[in-house]
Amino acid sequence: MKNIYNIIIVMFVFTTLISCVDQLTKEPIGLLTIDQIDASPTVTTIESSVLSSYDPLKSTLNSIVPGWRWDLGTVFRNDIVLQDMASNDMDKKWNPDGDQPWMDEIVEFTFTSENQAFNGIWVYDYEGISRVNLAIGFLEDDQVVSDSGLDPERRKQLLAEAYFLRAFYYFDLVNNFGDVPLVLSPPESFEEAFSVSVRAPVDEVWAQINTDLTDAKATASNDKYPDVSEPWRVSKGAIIALQAKVALFNEEWSLVLSLITELDGLGNYSLNADYFDSFDANIKFTDNEVIFAYDHRSNETPNNVNGLRSPVGWGFFAPTADFVAAFEPNDPRLLFTTTADPGNKFSPKIVGSTDWIDFGNKIYIRYADVLLWKAEALLETADLPGAIAIINQIRNRARTSATIDGSAIPPGTLPDRGSSTNASEVKDWLVSERRVELGFEAQRFNDLKRWGTAKSVLTALGRNYQDHNNLYPIPQLDIDKSGGSITQNPGY
Amino acid sequence: MQLVRNFHPTKTMSWGRVMLSTVKIYMLMQTNCFTKTLKIMNYNLLRKILQMSKHTFYGICLQMVLVGMLMASESEAQRQSLDNIYISVDIDNLTLEDALLLLSDETDFNFSYNDHRVNEKKIVSARVKNKSMTVLLKKMSKAYDLKFKRINENIYVSKREKSGADVEEEFTGFFQELAITGKITSSEDNEGLPGVNVIVKGTSQGTITDVEGNYSIEVPGEETVLVFSFVGFLKEEVTVGNQTIIDFVLTPDLTALDEIVVVGYSSRKKSTITGAVSIVDVESVKKNRIPNVAQALQGQIAGVQVTSSTGAPGDPVQIRIRGEGTIGNNNPLYIVDGIPSRDITFLNPADIKSMTVLKDAAAAAIYGSRASGGVVLITTLSGVKGKTSFGVDYFTGIHSVSDLPDMLNADQYMKTLEKAWNNTFTGANPYTADMGRSDFSDTNWLDELFETGKSHNLQISASGGNDKVQFLTSLSYYGLDGIVVNDNDKYQRLTYRTNINIDISDRFRIGTNLQLSHSTQDKIASKGESLIRFALLRAPVLSVFKDVSDPTYSERDPFTDMPFFTPTGYDQGLQRTMYEMVGNPIAQAFFTDDVRKIYTTFGNVYAEYSFLKDKSLKFRTNLGIDLSFFHNKAFNENYGDDDGGGSAIDQGLGRRNRPNNLNESYGQALTTTFNNTLNYVKTINDRHSLNLLVGTEYISNFESSIGASRARYSVTTPEFRYLDNGGSDLDVWNSGTASEWGLFSYFSSASYVLDSKYLVTGNFRADASSRFSESNRWGYFPSISAGWIVSEESFLSDVDWLTNLKLRASWGKLGNQEIDNYTYLTLISQVNEVVKVDRYGNPDLKWETSTQSNIGADFGLFNNKLGISVEYFNILTSDILLPISLPSVVGNVQPTILNAGEVRNKGFEFTLNYRNSENDFKYSINANLATLTNNVEKLHPNLPNISGNVTRTEVGHPLNAYYGYSVIGIYQNQAEIDSHLSGTPGNNVQPGDIKFNDINGDGIISADQDRDFIGSPIPDLTYGISGLASYKKFDFSILFQGVGGVERYNDGKKIVDYDTRPFNYTTAIFGAWDGEGSSNTRPRVTFADNGSSKISSIFAEDASYFRLKNIEFGYTIESFKGIGIRLYVSGQNLFTVTNYTGLDPETTDLLDKGTYPGSKAYLLGINVNF
Repeated sequence: MKNIYNIIIVMFVFTTLISCVDQLTKEPIGLLTIDQIDASPTVTTIESSVLSSYDPLKSTLNSIVPGWRWDLGTVFRNDIVLQDMASNDMDKKWNPDGDQPWMDEIVEFTFTSENQAFNGIWVYDYEGISRVNLAIGFLEDDQVVSDSGLDPERRKQLLAEAYFLRAFYYFDLVNNFGDVPLVLSPPESFEEAFSVSVRAPVDEVWAQINTDLTDAKATASNDKYPDVSEPWRVSKGAIIALQAKVALFNEEWSLVLSLITELDGLGNYSLNADYFDSFDANIKFTDNEVIFAYDHRSNETPNNVNGLRSPVGWGFFAPTADFVAAFEPNDPRLLFTTTADPGNKFSPKIVGSTDWIDFGNKIYIRYADVLLWKAEALLETADLPGAIAIINQIRNRARTSATIDGSAIPPGTLPDRGSSTNASEVKDWLVSERRVELGFEAQRFNDLKRWGTAKSVLTALGRNYQDHNNLYPIPQLDIDKSGGSITQNPGY
Repeated sequence: MQLVRNFHPTKTMSWGRVMLSTVKIYMLMQTNCFTKTLKIMNYNLLRKILQMSKHTFYGICLQMVLVGMLMASESEAQRQSLDNIYISVDIDNLTLEDALLLLSDETDFNFSYNDHRVNEKKIVSARVKNKSMTVLLKKMSKAYDLKFKRINENIYVSKREKSGADVEEEFTGFFQELAITGKITSSEDNEGLPGVNVIVKGTSQGTITDVEGNYSIEVPGEETVLVFSFVGFLKEEVTVGNQTIIDFVLTPDLTALDEIVVVGYSSRKKSTITGAVSIVDVESVKKNRIPNVAQALQGQIAGVQVTSSTGAPGDPVQIRIRGEGTIGNNNPLYIVDGIPSRDITFLNPADIKSMTVLKDAAAAAIYGSRASGGVVLITTLSGVKGKTSFGVDYFTGIHSVSDLPDMLNADQYMKTLEKAWNNTFTGANPYTADMGRSDFSDTNWLDELFETGKSHNLQISASGGNDKVQFLTSLSYYGLDGIVVNDNDKYQRLTYRTNINIDISDRFRIGTNLQLSHSTQDKIASKGESLIRFALLRAPVLSVFKDVSDPTYSERDPFTDMPFFTPTGYDQGLQRTMYEMVGNPIAQAFFTDDVRKIYTTFGNVYAEYSFLKDKSLKFRTNLGIDLSFFHNKAFNENYGDDDGGGSAIDQGLGRRNRPNNLNESYGQALTTTFNNTLNYVKTINDRHSLNLLVGTEYISNFESSIGASRARYSVTTPEFRYLDNGGSDLDVWNSGTASEWGLFSYFSSASYVLDSKYLVTGNFRADASSRFSESNRWGYFPSISAGWIVSEESFLSDVDWLTNLKLRASWGKLGNQEIDNYTYLTLISQVNEVVKVDRYGNPDLKWETSTQSNIGADFGLFNNKLGISVEYFNILTSDILLPISLPSVVGNVQPTILNAGEVRNKGFEFTLNYRNSENDFKYSINANLATLTNNVEKLHPNLPNISGNVTRTEVGHPLNAYYGYSVIGIYQNQAEIDSHLSGTPGNNVQPGDIKFNDINGDGIISADQDRDFIGSPIPDLTYGISGLASYKKFDFSILFQGVGGVERYNDGKKIVDYDTRPFNYTTAIFGAWDGEGSSNTRPRVTFADNGSSKISSIFAEDASYFRLKNIEFGYTIESFKGIGIRLYVSGQNLFTVTNYTGLDPETTDLLDKGTYPGSKAYLLGINVNF
């Protein structure tokens, strides 16, 4: 009998253990589930969803993908590599060496789809889009907005910012890659993440960009700084300027002109007196020219300082001889763009200061650029005097700017272009003015492509440029990740 | 007869007991004296078994001898058949032992048994009244499965056989011609062995030795062969010849006895195990003086690869059992005293009693979901009853670096750079101008970096107990100050351990184990961007210390930093880039203050209760905790030259750790394990052995940590390295996280053995884990295995040389749940106000399953002197928990974990043991070798390959295989370049650059077409050879270990011998290409890319090695007053044979960027036991 009791005790121990199974459901610690987020977004959640959508625009090192992932091309935003190095303006380093050979492949046009430069920009842009999509999801939902108590005026501004940013990222993608997947809301599951990984035709992408910009403009205020305490936020000026740029890239010349007229109507922008003022860290957001820029600030959490200073210090971003030669004698813009001196490897424009101390903003759109679009549109619409006048306006500002070392600019520097009835001559003037005015600002390769001169310019310098390089390859990594549902551009 | 009657059995027994306990004490003392004998696997346990049977024999034989002597005068005359000897006796529930004593008391016969299958403790009853002895013996034979064979006055008792009479009689003649006498002694202690059977070969004529081990026998002639046999000793034969005195030494047969092996929640006899189970020779391993228990397995067991991640004190050790089965976690599961643990660094190697490795599913399936990486079972020492014994062990060692590469001196360096400049640029060569500068130094940075390290180890233990309570307690300290200067590479561990077992009754036993451990690791950068890398790279023209006249010199920071830094500004001129800027490793070693402390409390309490009359059913409950706290504290002191950088507030500080900062974190992890088992062990009719087990287990884990950091400490002395003393305005951070998981399981196991020949075992475990959604929570893990002891079959009984042959086969499934928590849920993170999807969940997530089969054969040859085991295994890991990165179009989210992918591991394992003794010289050799083929069989459609920096995991290749360009030579001239790179006009390639294989022949070296697999980091072959020997008071042990068929990506080689930046080089650079035909293996020195920047086959070096891991000589001073003293010297890593050019081929990193190497060490030690 005693044994039976013993066995009963044992059975009891065993069966009580079964209740342990109920202990196995563990709620995540420190991470929210989708339900928890949807249930109660606060004003802070919504605000930060928009705020974080700006992050992929900054030059801070490792800000999007941490951990020095040179192999993924994500240490910094790659537009400088894909625009300036890929054009004939910039070399990887002042001395050739084996460091970061993927950049050499971009310079030489010997890259493949595995080159991490493409992955880098792709990851940055789509990360921006995914953050914007989350923000737009909140902002478009009346219920969410009213539950959170978000001020309706603030909602309008935030929506304008979000739509602009989505358009901005897609604009970058469509120029680099052509057809790209069009993701407009956050996927609900990982299966959906695969189903949206299909390329949409460029027309659809352009249409979406236009829609977003139209929507953005509809709710934006006319102020130069819609929020004075945060002057970096997207303004109506930025939205109109981007619309104009979209029109320019689609060669809708009259639309370009009308949009720039609309922009001018805001009365917010003009050329700065000094060329370098747009970049100077010490006077940011007090100048007249910058329309859209990412505001690099020190001592912030998370860190969002201008990190490009570091690669500059390591000897990256050297000018090609061809680029240096493109500057007319004594053009003060040269030494702000690059020291052109292997003994002093530096670029004040990239760093945002003339020393190593302050770090400037990343300028995306400034009025000088807009003026040159206008000049191009005038030229294309046969208004040669109008185009020449703008080119001379730019040249005049340059020759009346302070030089980097304070030296006087000799008389006769950067003389005005004369009048001309030869459209191709004026086009040449425009082309070279854009090159020197906007050097190292991640504009050049797009310009060469738009003008159809990429092949002739680059092959003349011994670069292995082929016709299919007009579009960059879709990053192989993402093709692989999609299981092949994202297809490759022809030629790669 | 009268005398015999007066010799009362009970008196004999008590006399015997006195004898027994005397012997026991004696034996115990011996056991504590390490050097007394050759020690092999699980020696203590074996010894106990041996001792027990030996004691019984002492007792019985003593009795027999006495009886025999007393009867001697009459016996020869008495030649009556058993049929004619009548007896009345009432044996009522006596042990067989007592019953036979009673019978020998009642009759004139001596009973003895020489068959270990006879259980002398068995309770027997028999009652006859005036019946013949034959009747009585037949009755007993039937009832208790015994056989009786009478030879003259002796009746030999053995196990009943299927054929042959149960009771036999034989009378031997009286015609002996030669009288032989002699003494049989044990090789263990050189003492006489009582009770040894001395038989004339081919007859059943014989005698047994007396209490002193003496015997006398008359034999027919000189050609007679005498056979000496005694249970637990090797049977020996000797031809008489012309000798009249034949003394003989018997050697214990340590394999003949069945070792009891812990196999998971229960124990099994080694002979009945059917899975792939390897037992570590713990005594031998202890001679390797390893600091980390995990290293005990190195070189010891076929198919187990043990690698130190670096040689730095306290850095982790990696164990791989039968290869890498999965893309994720391949670590084995450790079970310490029945409690699972993922880490065993808290254990003191000297506290280990046994280690068993469960290599296949048949053995490990009882651990189910967490066992796919194999299971290592560890039991710690416990006390044994007897006189309290004390042990003290101390050793101290010196450690030094070995096999350093020859770096260039300043002059050679400058000339090399001069040439590199000339090969790259035109114009004035700045290196020519700098040649012989007065401020140049000539520093050998490696010599500066390394110093002699020191280690100390002290262990004090006490153990003992009585019949009811046994205890063991030990305290130990281990300290190692590593081989890098400035003593910031240190490891110290203090462990305390107590073990108590209490027998409350003969059915009820409780016990507890408690271990407290405190370890401190002073950590330096030991791999990756390590100090060692910096020492390899830094220009020899730079000195270690600044000149005091240097305006940037300070007493606090006297170290040089940037090359020839001038205080006038940052990067003025070429100076900085002429001598590539690499941090000063000596300064870094000096300023590093990164301390990790771990406090572990690990312990369990258990209770065991035996049910049923024969105690065949045992219930055991075991509750364990693994509680650890960690404390990490890193003070990053500001030093180095001011480069003009830093945010405005930090201007003017050195560029390193700007601003200085303190990072501190505390964490805790509590794992509780509660398991309950019922175990039924029964032998029925001596033919059927059953071992049944059912059980449950519940494991829960909770971990949390907090951290904080501050910066800008105005005072940086150690007394101020606390959070409050840092700046409070900026860069004040804090953090905190937590996680938890739980696991609940049922498990069962059944073994059945028929006739000690046919074996079958099945295991089944069901696990439920919190890491999976409710619908996929349960995983089921079955296994089945069978064995056949062929040598027990009658058709092999004539094959003398084959002592043992067992064939085994097994199949089973194991699981792996080692993924992050909550991966089945979609989670949103909100960090720094950024709200985003952190990871999309996979609600269908389930266990990763490893299906394993194993076949094996164990041979014991020549009385088990030679043992050979051969195994073949085939493991398919499927439903691998694979992190699938989603396309970036949905943003940068964490990969979703899917069940996809298959990896197969298969291979052979060979183990060979040989042991022998020639008088005082005893030795044993253990050799093992394993082959391994690792192959990825399947990946996910969305993940055609997994790429690392230099590796790629792809179907048809091993996991993490090196992937890159194949080097086919050096371009000798422009024509060769033009033809080979015909598709790449305008390339910058120069003669002297590396020529890569253009696989598709399109004249372009392209990433997607021309890369291939260039090596595997998983060794094809692992092996170890160890030996033990002793001669009188000297003893010796040795261990060699190696791997073959393995590559390692030597990034250090790239950077010191091929790089195009002005780092230092090794003297191998003198073989660089320098004009057509000068070299086809080493590219030119240049500052332009010579091809070395590409991931290529040059750097995927053969990392096979053969290493003398350990060698030890010991000498035992004759013990006096019961104190045993042994002195020893050890050497570690004394030599390595390898083609690998990095500092140490043994490293776990796929990419060796300059790893802290293992050190060569000499140790001196002493053991004292009393």
